[in-house]
This record gives sequence, C-alpha cells and structure tokens, in this order.
Amino acid sequence: MSSIQETLAELRQASGVKGCVMLTPDGLVIAQDLDARFRDDVVAGLASYLVMSTERVLKEAFMSSFDQMTIHTAHGKAVFANMESSFLVVLLDQFADLDSCRGEIQGSVQILRRLSRVGRD
Amino acid sequence: MNLIKKLRIWKELRRLEQRAREQPCPSTFVDLGQVYLNLAMADKAMQTADDGLSLFPESAELQKLRDFARRSRARARVGPLRSRLENSPTASLFRELSAIYLELGDQAGLHATCQEWTVRYPDDSGPWLMLGQARLGNYYRDLSAVEGLEAISVLERVLELDSDDQKARRLFAELLFRIGATQQARTQLDMLADEEDPELGALRQQASVAPDRGDDFDELLRRVEHDGSLPNALPKVVRASSLDVGLGPLREALAQIAEQRGVRKATYIKGTRALVKGDIRDGKDAFLRVVRVIAKSSQRFGRRLDVGNFTKGVVHGSFGNICICCYGEVVAAVQCDSTAQVDRVLADLQELVAGSLYSFGGNS
Repeated sequence: MSSIQETLAELRQASGVKGCVMLTPDGLVIAQDLDARFRDDVVAGLASYLVMSTERVLKEAFMSSFDQMTIHTAHGKAVFANMESSFLVVLLDQFADLDSCRGEIQGSVQILRRLSRVGRD
Repeated sequence: MNLIKKLRIWKELRRLEQRAREQPCPSTFVDLGQVYLNLAMADKAMQTADDGLSLFPESAELQKLRDFARRSRARARVGPLRSRLENSPTASLFRELSAIYLELGDQAGLHATCQEWTVRYPDDSGPWLMLGQARLGNYYRDLSAVEGLEAISVLERVLELDSDDQKARRLFAELLFRIGATQQARTQLDMLADEEDPELGALRQQASVAPDRGDDFDELLRRVEHDGSLPNALPKVVRASSLDVGLGPLREALAQIAEQRGVRKATYIKGTRALVKGDIRDGKDAFLRVVRVIAKSSQRFGRRLDVGNFTKGVVHGSFGNICICCYGEVVAAVQCDSTAQVDRVLADLQELVAGSLYSFGGNS
C-alpha cells in the first residue's frame, strides 16, 4: 500500500499540477508535495482560511459541507477536496485541463481517505 | 531588493501595463497600481487609479486604490516640506503641510504645525481653519459635545480674524444647521456670498423650513451626544447613479440564466446591491451571503498566493453546485442542481459580468 506522501507525489506528476497539500481544517500540514515557488505554510494558511470561511457560511445558510471546490484565478487553478477530517488542496497552472485531472484527483482522494482511516484505526 | 527580484517586478509591471491597455478591467488597474505602490511610485499609482476610474467610475476597489495612492503621495511630501519650513518658513508652506496632516488624519502633526504657524503669523486665520476642520471631523465622527464646542469656538475665532472667510462661515453654518440651531444657521447662510452652488442652495432651502431648536450650543450639542444622532442631515444633491442605468438588460440576462435547466437561484451583486432571480426571497437571503463570503475568501486566496485575481469557481456538495463568477467588484452566481450544465452556466455568468462592466463604464 502506498503512503500518503507517495500518493501526493504521484498526483503531482499529473499534467498541470503544481503541487498538492493534505491538511487539517485548521491549517496543519499532514503531507505536501509542492512546487518550489509555493511555501507549504502559506498555502496551508490560505487554504485553511478559504475552507473554514466556506464551511462556516454554508453552515450558517443551513447547507451541508461541500465535497469539492474549484477556483480559477488569473494565473492558476485550485481544487479543494473535503475528506471529512482533512482536506486535499491541489494547485494547478492556468492551462491545466480540469476535466482530464479530475479522475486523478478523485483517485487520490479515495486513496487518501482510505489511508487516513487506516491511520486512525 | 536584489537584481533578479527587481527584474521580475519590472517584467510583471510590463505585463500588467499591457493587460490594462488590451483588456481593461478594474482588477487589472488595481494590480498595476499595487505594483507601482510597492515600487514607491505613488504618482504612477494615482495615475493608474485615475485611468481606471475614467473607465469604471463606480469601482470601489479603484477608489480605494486612489485614496491609498493619494495618502502615500501625501506622506512622501511631509519630509521635504518640513525641511523647507525649517530653512525658510512661510504661511503657504505651513498651509501646505497642515493640509497634508489633515488629510492623513495626523492630529499631533497638525496641532504642532498650526501652533508654530500661529506663533509666526498670529493674524493669519489659516491655522484656526485647519484646526476647525480637524475638530469638525472628530465631532461628526464621535458626536462628542466637547469636540463640537471646540469646533464652534475655533470657527468663531477664524471669523473674528477674517470675517470674509467663506469656507469657515459655510462650515460653521452647516454645523449649526445640523445640530438644530437653524435660526443661527440662517444668519450665517445669509452672510455667505451668492454662489452658483446647488448644494449651498439646497442647504439654504432646507434651513428655511427646518424647525429651530434654540441657540444654546452647549445644550444642543449635549442633546445630540445623548441621542447619538444629529437632528438635521445635510441635503443631498441627487445625482443619477450608473447602477440605476441599464439595469433592464442585466435583469433580463439574469432571468435567462435563472430559467436554465436545474438553476434554482441566481444573483448579480455589485457592492452592497444585488439583483436576484429564481427561488430567492429577497436581498436578505442567506445565499447572497454565501456568495459574497466565498468570492471574497477566494479573492484573498488568489491574491495572497500570488496566482492572480479570482475569476470563477464552483462549490459542489449535497446542496448541488454553487457557481460564482467574479470580475473586480462585481459577482454573479447561481445555485443549481446536478441536472444543470455547469460549464454553460459559468460561461453565461462570465458574459453577464463582463457585459455589465462595459455597459456601466460606457453609461457613466
């Protein structure tokens, strides 16, 4: 069975992926594989802020938690996958084809969910 | 800053300048202005904000950039002005420096400069007017009776020194009108020169009909402090807002998006105002807050991570999909279920937002 780090490293090989981080909702980095231009503590802090703000406002509007969030910015894209007690953040460049990456991201999310459950058991 | 970093910034600057020319939008001007500010080029930042505002006059972000650039430029002028004052003090230099301190809200700097100014030029009403403006600013902010009395006393001092000072008399008249000393305000307004100023005309008209609450300033100011509000507001000269212009096509486009298969709620938000279509009760619907918070957080994420402005996003969950499209200060969003074509919805939202920006720019 591959480790969390290996799963992230494998996802990092996908076309357009500039880095991925697995973190707790409060911003603690569980594992990461990031491009040199990104600092893991910065990504974790900002991602945690975005995820927590979104979760909070959805709760206030009596909506359930989100499963996945995708954002597009001028120079990049980011995917946030909710894995119950943790989140996977995938950073991509602006030219990345999200449709082609979706399968790989979903696959990684399944593996990471299983691995984190094994870790807890 | 090392050479490589400098080169990188200049390269980014060139890219943004080109983008501002080819694809003008508020966020591009804001990004460009921020780079200029980081390079301590406040004049260029101000110019960029002005250029942006000429295209997008309602953009709150560009107005903030302009204010910030103006303050940065003012702050940079303090040092040279102070040294010129030390070498050869003149009333105009004191006035210039005090005006900067007043603009920056630096009360200590303003008081020190005005004190020096009054010592050197005791007959000049200028320092008292500056102090009066600062006191008035404090009073309108806190409605503290003590500040109000100080403002009155300082403005009376200005008028003692120079009874022709139109600005001081007008500020005094406005203050008296706002606290309810209408009769006294009328007397001051009658002493003002007749100008072709619609705001002054409106104030005169309002003061002629508003009830007089007496001329005991102390009592009036204490009553205002107790109530926490001024009895009279300054009349506003109504100007047509560009938001009110061309809402028809926007509404129509939003309605078309709301009618698409699977779309439950649709909204178009600009600043504090929102258009809503579909299953939304009113402007207080929680969905609007969801959209605002997610757009703002995503904007912050993109900017802080240095990957540019947030343009669009999709939040997926058991509630369906929330699709958001953002362009500067304008946000359009829908909530839809799984039967909706998310890509098409996003494309339509983008078109709606971009189209509205251009039409606002053109109409204003």
